[in-house]
Amino acid sequence: MSEARSPGVPPVMPTDTLSPAVEMDPVEYTLRKRLPRKLPKRRNDVYVNMKTDFKAQLARCQKLLDGGGHREICVHGLGLAINRAINIALQLQASSQGALQLAANTSTVELVDDLEPDDPDETGEPMTRTRNNSAIHIKVFYPDPQ
Amino acid sequence: MDNTKKMSDAKARRREIKLKNQPTNVQYPVNVESSPHFTGNGGSTQRCPGPHHGWVRGHQKDGGYSKGMPRYINAGSFARARASEVQAMVKAVRKKTASCHLFAALPKHMRRRAMSHNTKRLPRRLQEMAMKLKEKNLQGVKKKKEQSKQKSRKARRRHGNLLLEFNRRQRKNIWLETHIWHAKRFHMVKKWGYCIGDRPTYKCYRPCYRAMSSHCLLQDLSYYCCIELLGEEETLLSALAQLISKDTGPSFASAVCLSGRRQGNVTVYRAGQYPSQPLGPVTFLWRPRAQVSNRRQLWIWAHPTLKRDLVAELQKVCDCSEPVIPVVEPVAQPAKVPSSEDTKELPNLITVVQGISGTKRKRSCMDQSGPPAKKILGDGTRSPTTPVTWTSNSSATVINDLTMEIVRYRLIGPLSHTVLTETLEVATSCETLAKSASSLWWPEYCKDESKMNLHKEQSDIFHILKGVYSSGEIPPGTVLGLNVDDPRVALPRKKVKALPSVKQVQVVEEERVKQLMLNGVPERCCQSSLWDSSVRDNVTENKIPEQELNHMKHEVLVPGSRLRPTPHQGRVPVLLVHQPGKQVGHEMGTWGAGWDILLPKGWGMAFWVPLVYRGVREGGLHMSLKHSQNKCAPHFPHDYPDCPAGVRFQEEQEAELLDKFKRRPPAKRTNYIKLGCLAPFRCPWKQLAEEWEVISAEERMESRDTDTVIEGATSHQDVTSMPQRFTVLRNRKALRLLSGWCRPTTSKGQRACRLSQAPPLNQAAVSSFLSAHSMSLVWVRLSLLAKGKPELHGMVCVPTLEDFKLLKDPQCSGPLEPTHKDHFKSKLKRPKKKSKKVTETAHKVATPTTAKSSSTPGTVFGLWPDPLPSVASHCSRVVLGWITQGDFSLTAGCGEALGFVSVPGLLTTLLKQPIEHRGMLLLRNPTSLHYRFVKVNIEV
Repeated sequence: MSEARSPGVPPVMPTDTLSPAVEMDPVEYTLRKRLPRKLPKRRNDVYVNMKTDFKAQLARCQKLLDGGGHREICVHGLGLAINRAINIALQLQASSQGALQLAANTSTVELVDDLEPDDPDETGEPMTRTRNNSAIHIKVFYPDPQ
Repeated sequence: MDNTKKMSDAKARRREIKLKNQPTNVQYPVNVESSPHFTGNGGSTQRCPGPHHGWVRGHQKDGGYSKGMPRYINAGSFARARASEVQAMVKAVRKKTASCHLFAALPKHMRRRAMSHNTKRLPRRLQEMAMKLKEKNLQGVKKKKEQSKQKSRKARRRHGNLLLEFNRRQRKNIWLETHIWHAKRFHMVKKWGYCIGDRPTYKCYRPCYRAMSSHCLLQDLSYYCCIELLGEEETLLSALAQLISKDTGPSFASAVCLSGRRQGNVTVYRAGQYPSQPLGPVTFLWRPRAQVSNRRQLWIWAHPTLKRDLVAELQKVCDCSEPVIPVVEPVAQPAKVPSSEDTKELPNLITVVQGISGTKRKRSCMDQSGPPAKKILGDGTRSPTTPVTWTSNSSATVINDLTMEIVRYRLIGPLSHTVLTETLEVATSCETLAKSASSLWWPEYCKDESKMNLHKEQSDIFHILKGVYSSGEIPPGTVLGLNVDDPRVALPRKKVKALPSVKQVQVVEEERVKQLMLNGVPERCCQSSLWDSSVRDNVTENKIPEQELNHMKHEVLVPGSRLRPTPHQGRVPVLLVHQPGKQVGHEMGTWGAGWDILLPKGWGMAFWVPLVYRGVREGGLHMSLKHSQNKCAPHFPHDYPDCPAGVRFQEEQEAELLDKFKRRPPAKRTNYIKLGCLAPFRCPWKQLAEEWEVISAEERMESRDTDTVIEGATSHQDVTSMPQRFTVLRNRKALRLLSGWCRPTTSKGQRACRLSQAPPLNQAAVSSFLSAHSMSLVWVRLSLLAKGKPELHGMVCVPTLEDFKLLKDPQCSGPLEPTHKDHFKSKLKRPKKKSKKVTETAHKVATPTTAKSSSTPGTVFGLWPDPLPSVASHCSRVVLGWITQGDFSLTAGCGEALGFVSVPGLLTTLLKQPIEHRGMLLLRNPTSLHYRFVKVNIEV
């Protein structure tokens, strides 16, 4: 996949993280989730999502390592896709007969939701709120020969 | 005519040679000797009742040709009869039609090269005639030239003449400011009184899609009409409230739009007519409040097909029927009197003072006769006396028609803000000139301290935009006012692709970006001088012409370096309006988000070319249709069958498709009757809605009869009180309910359903829903499960219970429709024969085609004639609706269609369907017998 198209594939945002602590009447507001912030992306960054086939994503990573000439790639997963990102990294390692090494990092990503008021007298301001979600960044690399 | 009494052998042979090429139907009798005499009956053998005499032409009915010759011939009468023929022959021979006859008269060995050029080469006896001919020819050429009045190409391409010609050509259909740029690269269509680019001449469907999803696509939307409303806030709001209903979503009065921070969308209805008689969708923008007065300014942007109705409605609700006749301004150039027709017809345009003084003088002495052409800016087709402003008697409300006064470009794509930040540079202030008064607006603007503070704030926000990665991250509908430098000054030498700056932004910057993403632009930064008509006019009038700018660039010491300082005329107020991307559905959220840029008129090309130089793709009407299709948003005239503009569009489309269909020979046409497609070129929505209302009412009756017999009377009432018009369901609450009911059975959908706590789908809920929306259609998105590409006017049908069994088999893609029989084929042929006989026996009435159309109107081979039978139950699967747009969707990766289905039809279908297959329908293209499974989505 070319670099230009990849930002269009968003990491999946799980819906379960709506905390009940926020006071919200479901009739009054429509919830719209914005996409997570995009980050500048190198060629060896792979953002894992839940929509694309697992095998295809695995094959893409494999291709980057074998034919793409990259010594290391970064697999990123957000929310629900964390599992899948870990899975991909482990599969890559297993298929390389121990040649590949992993280094995992976790982080927290801030996500933005829009709340649009549906009230009839239309005095409500649209609200935005932020919530946090977990993300994982796994570096898959060939260790240096020394 | 000397008869040979005796024929020798040699003579016979010669005669044979002579008659070798004789046509067979003119025969010369051989046995001359047996009948030596000819009759002198004038040679007309047809009139002679007896045996045939003389020359016989043509085939005779009574067996072969007459072989006998007349016994005798009367020389006098014979000669007289032949005299006229001979005369005609001689005349024909003498007559010279062209000069070539002259030369042809010479034997071959006397012809010379170039005799027509040099008459001396001819023999002397022919010289005189040749001279005459030559002169005649020359005169003819001269005359022709005078008739055509074609000036030389050089003269035609001269700037003034070219402008005159351009002005003449845009009298009927208005040209946008980027017209010439587009006309060189696009297929242009004349639509809605404008010349608009449809699609580029080069192949770029996928590149354009890629531009929309990963970079930026640029469109010229200047043909959208802007209507300005001025007045007290309360008066305006109360007037506008009649046009809309709050059921359909946020209205003109929604707080965030009213403050001027966001652009809003509404669907406009005729005053107080909701839910029937919609006009169409409009976007609107309030000017942020000024500190002192309560007077507000509102811009309503509408599609040109909807403008006239909208203006009439606005006049009605605002009570603004007093037209203000515009004062015809004298043309700005004092020396020249506008004498030509063009200037008289088009006075409400603004003169662009052309060129620097040197060239101007040169031109004025070159063609003093004609006045210099003026470039049309704004609406050139409007006659000067047409009012564009209406005032109110009772209140202080004013309506202004700002059509073509403001240029609007749309940038679609995640990097459109990057393109903007690269192209536009915030206006540099000019302190040096601040002391003296100036006719330009910018120096005056610079004097005001508060305005300069505002300008600084706005430019700060604009700089923050650079740190944003995607346009979709900005709150939807955000507005930002800005003053920018003339972008032509900083034009790159080569086309470069604008890319986001990868470098890490500072933490402080990061915070501000976050603020912008969360809260949007503060209210005071949405203010712009573009709202002032005086500033707009000033900017338009004082634009530096391209030529002058190039001259200034030419004089820069280092070639290709930036022109510094920017000339004082080059400051333009603009408004940037964020366009939200895809807002419905779960997948590909904010796809197709972007920015609109609003400019004062006259500056179109000055901004277009610099934008193009930042590596954007350019799209036309076709791409805007695809954009809304991928965004799952209805596109204006196409997807509004209940609006007058939509009805008109459908009629035009039908005529166009029918015309195309009729151009094929009947044997090569698709026989839609055999394919079971009643209306391949249009969608009889009204008939569908009526039929389904009856069907659903009957079904409800049945079910009620089984449950309780008490409520029979009320359902009867429902049937009798049938409203006449069908409506498209736009009530948000009702749509949300429907959406929950036909929710596809994915895990995600189920969860959302549980959240919204919709009432379960059952008989009671459906009948209460249908009592309000029995004649409604609803806009749905259909996505195909397997392969297949939906096409225009495909049928959406109800699957039978047996069809669901096919779903388990992955190989089978769907059921088949049995071929229908064409009963009209035989009927269509018979009158054709009759009409032929009629033409033979009696007077020639008309050609068979017109006779056919006149005798049996509307019967075209392969099409079902009017009136149509029941549209719902014509095929083996019951029809629910039709699709209005369908294509392979590159965003979804499968065939996707957008169309309308009847609400009662959909609900009765959903009720009967098993839960695991709920929301599963069939789709069939008009040219196919194959049904394909589709999933229905209604998105709010």
